[in-house]
Amino acid sequence: MMGAAMFLFRRRPANLPEPVVQYLDAPRPDPALLWRDVPYSVMDVETTGLNPRRDALLAIGLVDIDEGRIRMDRRWYSLVRPPDDAPVNPEAIRIHGLLPQDVEHAPPLDDVIPVMLQRLTGRVLVVHVADVDIGFLRQAMRRLYGVEPRGPAIDTARLAWHFQRHQHLIEGSGSDQEPALQLRALAESVGLPVYPEHNAFNDALTTAQLFLAQVSMFEAHGTPRLRDLLRAGGCLR
Amino acid sequence: MEEIVRFLLEHPPFSQLPLLQIQRIASAVQIEYFGQGAHILTQGGKPASFLYLIRRGSVDLLQERNGVVELTDTLSEGECFGYVSLIRGKPPISTVRAHEATLCYLIPAALFHQLRRDYPSFAQFFARSITDRLEHALQQRHATAAPELFQTRLRDLITEPLVTVSPDTPVREAARRMREAQASALIVDLPPYGVLDAGSGIVTDRDLRNRVVAEGLDYNTPIAQVMSAPAITAPADCLVFEGLLKMIEHGVHHLPLSDGGQIIGVVSYRDFLRLQSHNPLLMPQRLVRAHSDADLRAYTEQVTATVGGLLDAGARVSDIGRAVAAAHDALLVHIIRDAEAALGPPPCPYAWLVLGSEGRYEQTLRTDQDNALIYADNAPEGAEAYFEALAERVVEQLVRCGFPRCPGNVMATNPQWRQPRSVWQNYFRQWISVPSEEALLQTAIFFDLRPVYGTLDTEASLRPIILRARENRIFLGRLARAALRQTAPINFFRQLVLERRGDQRGVIDLKYRGTAMIVDLARLFALEAGVPDTNTITRLRKSANHSSLSETSAEELIAAFELIGLLRLRWQYQQLRQGLEPGNQVEVDKLTPLERRELKEALRAVAVAQRAVAVTFQTSLIA
Repeated sequence: MMGAAMFLFRRRPANLPEPVVQYLDAPRPDPALLWRDVPYSVMDVETTGLNPRRDALLAIGLVDIDEGRIRMDRRWYSLVRPPDDAPVNPEAIRIHGLLPQDVEHAPPLDDVIPVMLQRLTGRVLVVHVADVDIGFLRQAMRRLYGVEPRGPAIDTARLAWHFQRHQHLIEGSGSDQEPALQLRALAESVGLPVYPEHNAFNDALTTAQLFLAQVSMFEAHGTPRLRDLLRAGGCLR
Repeated sequence: MEEIVRFLLEHPPFSQLPLLQIQRIASAVQIEYFGQGAHILTQGGKPASFLYLIRRGSVDLLQERNGVVELTDTLSEGECFGYVSLIRGKPPISTVRAHEATLCYLIPAALFHQLRRDYPSFAQFFARSITDRLEHALQQRHATAAPELFQTRLRDLITEPLVTVSPDTPVREAARRMREAQASALIVDLPPYGVLDAGSGIVTDRDLRNRVVAEGLDYNTPIAQVMSAPAITAPADCLVFEGLLKMIEHGVHHLPLSDGGQIIGVVSYRDFLRLQSHNPLLMPQRLVRAHSDADLRAYTEQVTATVGGLLDAGARVSDIGRAVAAAHDALLVHIIRDAEAALGPPPCPYAWLVLGSEGRYEQTLRTDQDNALIYADNAPEGAEAYFEALAERVVEQLVRCGFPRCPGNVMATNPQWRQPRSVWQNYFRQWISVPSEEALLQTAIFFDLRPVYGTLDTEASLRPIILRARENRIFLGRLARAALRQTAPINFFRQLVLERRGDQRGVIDLKYRGTAMIVDLARLFALEAGVPDTNTITRLRKSANHSSLSETSAEELIAAFELIGLLRLRWQYQQLRQGLEPGNQVEVDKLTPLERRELKEALRAVAVAQRAVAVTFQTSLIA
């Protein structure tokens, strides 16, 4: 555990690939910016399991948000070949539908991550349930380059929880029912169309739409700034 | 991606694009979410840089006029906005505000313009004028409903070789040539020789049978003696449906096709049948064999069934009206001839007139009879009794064929409407010089007269008197006021105005507050322009620019007339199929969103024309 804390203060390793350096050096967006003026990248991953230490990445989907609009022309999706010691287990195939032969010829992680980091450079990362998505990204970056992913990032599940908590406070509802935070349920609850689930790209798109809907809930109190979004749903410093 | 593609596939005009283009759009769209009340576009603000397609939710269009903000329309899922600003490159003419939380797909301007360039149907959809849009809506139905009738050109039906002979060819030689070529018709080349132009004659199998063999003519008779000339021809690039109508209207079985003034081939009824084996359009032929009442009744039933077929096939209501008029005229002629056969030859020239919708070629379903009879002045003794008997027989027979008597007694059996020429002329003069309420009601029926049978020249006798009414400003003013008695049921906010009382709630009358309003306007404009025709569309077309009607307004009214007529007829047919009495009261919430939108557009065109009439004729009255 100490190791993880030490990690943060370690000097940056030498000989990092250029895209990784640029990713790390990009200035962080000013939290005082209006939310629309901030570029975002919405990410979703498919994996062989839920444990970033043990399981492997199989697919990554990204879609950008610029000026408050989801850009289908700036979407990205890549399959990832899992390492030989982390085969695709039958349990997970049921969820993501990816078969071993689908990823057999995909590029390995160390080819995919630099491309992905290039796309994330200078952008605020948006994910649904950070523990999983950012967990896998962190694990990959540590293992490959000995560096950490950079914030800030926003977790739409955390934003949803924020709104639900507010709702409870306002309505004084005594229900201590666990709020539903599944992506699909949340998207449907705000009247969004849901794209077929468990495909890294579709889930990223659904997350992106959910994010826009959540931001519009802030609008009642004036256009939110990045700072407001981070306060309610930030997840990576 | 697949989701966006699926959505585009379900919504016009995208649904008409090739799949490849739809995929291209799906991968280029941007997606934006608007909370309730958010302003998406601002009137007079920044021009739109996207075409907006509503994926979820709805938006309000607001227009500010003289400091007052008015709601002009509400658009919902699958509808587009922003294109007016995009096309003109000018600030939006309306503010677009999210009526509720709304998700939109945004198509970038460059892609939108490229699609408009590459796909005319896509461009048409966003055309600025309502005429273009209504026209497009009709075309779409034609194209999808009966491709063989509405997409095939006549030239594609040509199977027979073109056989031509000179006019002095003996009939035996001509018949031999037809047998050799296995042709059912041949073209007779008339001067100037060597040029098969529109003046050429035609001889068919039937002509050889009926005019040569049955008449016992010498087989050396020159073919010119038995030919029909000039032949009824049609442009080779006409749609099959138009060709079919032409054959029905003229009662011919062969249609020489012209291309650049030259005959290039002949198509026959059989060629049409081959294309659509169950087409019921050749009905007038069946009448020849009809003798019993049952035959005649079966015939009228068949006509009604045909209307349904044409409707399903996506025909225009105006074309259906022409086809039905041809069929009903044939029936009427058959019935009158039977009556003449029973009563003996008429004592003097006369004409049987049809009035109202039949007179305008606009009858689609069987309705009440509206007819009259005119006979020559200084008729011999007994003429009145003869025509009374004739009228009784014909009207009675029509009732048996399913045409009920006119409740207002506008029929030739009523002595008032069975009069010599001079009496009729006085009727018209009287109506025009003293335009009472009663008189205006009569003009609405009798100005739309059309002779169907008889030798008396009605048009020459009555039409000049009718047309002279245009010089009477008071009469025109009254006629204008009568035409404005019903106003288009659409308010300033472009919302349909529905009945709010009792069992009429949510209902709109597509006749009295729809087609009839356009019929009245067309009659007024035709009179103003001195156009003798009775058909509403012809009247509008011919009086444009020759009356206070502008060409644009004429086109809009024509499109509106077709559209409302189509909605009305479709509605009536639906009722017929459910075993109900067809009416004109349409329940608006049973219309599809697209039909509602089209109806709104059409009624708006009527409202605009009505406002213009109000201005024009009020001014002229004061002056």
